[in-house]
Amino acid sequence: MIEILNPGWHTSIQDQGRMGLQEFGIPYSGAMDMNSFNWANKLLNNSLNAALLEMTIKGPKLKFHAETVIVFTGAQMDIKHNGNKASLYSPIFIKKNDLLECGACKEGCRTYMSVLGGLQTERILSSRSQCNYITKSGHINKKRILQIKKESFELNKGVSLKSPLPSYNIKEIEVFKGPEFDLLEPVAQLKIATQTFTISHLNNRMAYQLEEKIINKLPEIWTTSVLPGTVQLTPNGTLIVLMRDAQVTGGYPRILQLSNHAVNILAQKSTRDVLHFKIKSFD
Amino acid sequence: MSQEKSFLKIFQYSETSVLLEFKQEPKIDSLNELIAFKKTLNSNLCGIKQITLSYKSLLLQFSNPIKKDQNLKEEILKLYLSFDSSKSKIKSKHWNIPVCYESKYASDLIVLSKYLKLSQHQLIKLHTKPIYQIYFIGFLPGFLYLVGLDTKLYHPRKKSPTLKVCKGAVGIGGRQTGIYPNQSPGGWNIIGTSPTSMFDPDLKQPCFAKSGDTLSFYSISETTFKKIRKNRIPPNFREITL
Repeated sequence: MIEILNPGWHTSIQDQGRMGLQEFGIPYSGAMDMNSFNWANKLLNNSLNAALLEMTIKGPKLKFHAETVIVFTGAQMDIKHNGNKASLYSPIFIKKNDLLECGACKEGCRTYMSVLGGLQTERILSSRSQCNYITKSGHINKKRILQIKKESFELNKGVSLKSPLPSYNIKEIEVFKGPEFDLLEPVAQLKIATQTFTISHLNNRMAYQLEEKIINKLPEIWTTSVLPGTVQLTPNGTLIVLMRDAQVTGGYPRILQLSNHAVNILAQKSTRDVLHFKIKSFD
Repeated sequence: MSQEKSFLKIFQYSETSVLLEFKQEPKIDSLNELIAFKKTLNSNLCGIKQITLSYKSLLLQFSNPIKKDQNLKEEILKLYLSFDSSKSKIKSKHWNIPVCYESKYASDLIVLSKYLKLSQHQLIKLHTKPIYQIYFIGFLPGFLYLVGLDTKLYHPRKKSPTLKVCKGAVGIGGRQTGIYPNQSPGGWNIIGTSPTSMFDPDLKQPCFAKSGDTLSFYSISETTFKKIRKNRIPPNFREITL
């Protein structure tokens, strides 16, 4: 088992989330950056949906009470394994009583730590992902004990462990026009397509607000389905990008939809980071 | 992929999803039609992962990216044109939801009744009389979108939302009424509180109601409120086949 000595800034247990339960109003949840999540499990030969730790801004301090293997992916981070520097994207062999200290995220803001066999925490509504209103807490707390499995480790020869680290400096966010995009005035459309936007401090697993405003003269719409990556325009002109823990319906016009890839890219961005939208079509 | 028809707009929403928007205003007939058409799509389209329903639309999510040569749009149109809602029977339930309208549980009832020029008794009567249609669940887990509020009770949301609306609070916002399944911020005018639990993540079916069911409210005393909440008494229902 793993003991949480210090939870870090915001660390939560995540897997692929709760797809299929949205008819009850349940958020999708799941790892914010699915690309890093998949790498973390692939490098350990874990099942695709194995639960891991998602660390935001600053990672936790952990004590291991059993032998296991772990892998870090995502945002660069200083990791000290019993005081020695450890690197991302390669297996770290853990012995009983080992200490792991995670520092602050550099270039990107979410780092993932997978554990051999996946975290064995309680499944609520078919997922281990922590989410407010669904699980007891939306994040892990100090002193929490996480159960793990005893498993033999085989290096995943199918994937290259020396794969190039992803870059999180990309400012381009790939989007498709949302259902209400064409109702916007041409000036507003042009602004969205050309302007640089800044991420406000109001950004979390539910949504990212952008600072620059767009004039909104659109009529109200009937509450409708939304997805992670849907960009809503509020009556005061704020753009809100919905993320994995967002509500599943919304009443604001849907201006844009991020590509799956772009949701993962945005998940590595945080307060004051800038971006611009690149509008693409499906063909 | 966007096609205008007088009744249906098909719009590719993301790499793996397609949005169908229907032109009619939400009314009972169209909800049953939406549910029946959702069923048809689920059983006829390949690779569907989930269809979510809202007031005027269905969002179809697929397991794999949609290919241009898939002719999905044509396939959906064909299904819509040959669709006959009268053939499908929908089984649903009618739920009776207890609400305590006593002032302790209804922070905005007095102000709202004055505003609407109704007595509190009249307001409660107008709120408990209709059979509401449960359109879909969203906003919060277990939050039911209800259609059927008496026009005399229409009232705008508060300008600035209340930071803590209690679990079970029953409110009016615009043309809608609803029950807060959990404590949350909210902008609706609170006219009562229900002791019934609307959402329980520990249950396999975390919300007892579903899209297509109906619901009505009935007034209870504080004593009954406490008894129902303490003993977690589930709401009464009766089966309906349409």
